[in-house]
Amino acid sequence: MNIQGKSDKFISAIDAHKGILYKIANAYCNDREDRKDLIQEMYIQLWKSYETYNDEYKYSTWIYRISLNVAISFYRKENSRTKLANSFSDDILNVVHTNEEDEKVTNFGILQQFIVELKELDKALILLYLEEKNYREIAEIMGLSETNIATKIGRIKLKLKDKFSQIKNQ
Amino acid sequence: MEDIEIINLWKSNDKKINETLLLNRKNAEEITKMKAQSLLSSMKPIKIFTVLVGILWVGIVGTIVANLFLFFYDKMSPFFLYSAMLQVILTAIALIIYIYQTITIYQIDINDQILATQEKIVKLKSTTLLVTRILFLQLPVWTTFYWNNSMFENGNLFLWILQGIITISFTFVALWLFFNIKYENRNKKWFKLIFSGKEWIPLMNSMDLLSQIDEYYKESKAEQNVSN
Repeated sequence: MNIQGKSDKFISAIDAHKGILYKIANAYCNDREDRKDLIQEMYIQLWKSYETYNDEYKYSTWIYRISLNVAISFYRKENSRTKLANSFSDDILNVVHTNEEDEKVTNFGILQQFIVELKELDKALILLYLEEKNYREIAEIMGLSETNIATKIGRIKLKLKDKFSQIKNQ
Repeated sequence: MEDIEIINLWKSNDKKINETLLLNRKNAEEITKMKAQSLLSSMKPIKIFTVLVGILWVGIVGTIVANLFLFFYDKMSPFFLYSAMLQVILTAIALIIYIYQTITIYQIDINDQILATQEKIVKLKSTTLLVTRILFLQLPVWTTFYWNNSMFENGNLFLWILQGIITISFTFVALWLFFNIKYENRNKKWFKLIFSGKEWIPLMNSMDLLSQIDEYYKESKAEQNVSN
């Protein structure tokens, strides 16, 4: 396949799964500018790894693995913004319209806030769970046993349910 | 709230994301045409600067000290020569570890499983602690390089006691820090005091992640033992 063909195929794959990048960035970065940089960094790393993409795996599994690895590393880098060498002024992903203030008071906002407050690895686990990946797939992405995944997710869910019931009782 | 309700809550946002999220094709295409960042261009300027200063220091001071050893040994104070030699050797070791660490971090395969990749990254980052420990070992030589024969011949007891206290305490502090600066002590007050600056945040965060990884592996092992 020529470079243009490869590039088109890659862009189409990312376009079909762009929600993954957006959701991971939202979970790992509070700041809008950081999110923009993180999405760009994930995109660059995906493109760099596209050469070695193994079609045994689903695109989504491959995208999750790389994007989560980037997000966890990026999140740790610094508290302040990490400017990339090849930063673009425009976002790679544009959101047509959101009202972040409205979101905060909804149940979805509570769920999102809960995810933001989790530790890095727990955050990755719950994202994969919410995306309805099965335990085998999650184990494959994370590099843990299925039993371990089940225990961990069970524990996080318990905390989440606790949070919802606390808010309900307030 | 039931499991299914939580998942549905999450999915309720998917529709909205799909409707509102647009891929900026122009930028996306630009990036695929870009040359992959070379190792050096992706390294922060401060890292390059540190490495360059380190190489210059070890190169210039090392050459001077080696020449003094070879050609002026009789004319020089042995205290100066050995102190300087030790300083250069320790700096060179720290520099080699630092360069190795920086290069290896950028060679890690991001395509690998998350726990394995993150473990490699944070363990490598933690070698920064080793560099710091080695650099602290230099402390005593800064209190001995100016010693000379005339100090032994003409120095008074008070000066020697003062000098002794300084050198012994520097040696003690250097050795104590060398043996105690380690991941296990990350929550101690003195540790946080040394590593309190902004430049240490990534390292401290890395160590926090390392403890999360350890916890994951520990639980995984415990579960395996139970099932066996």
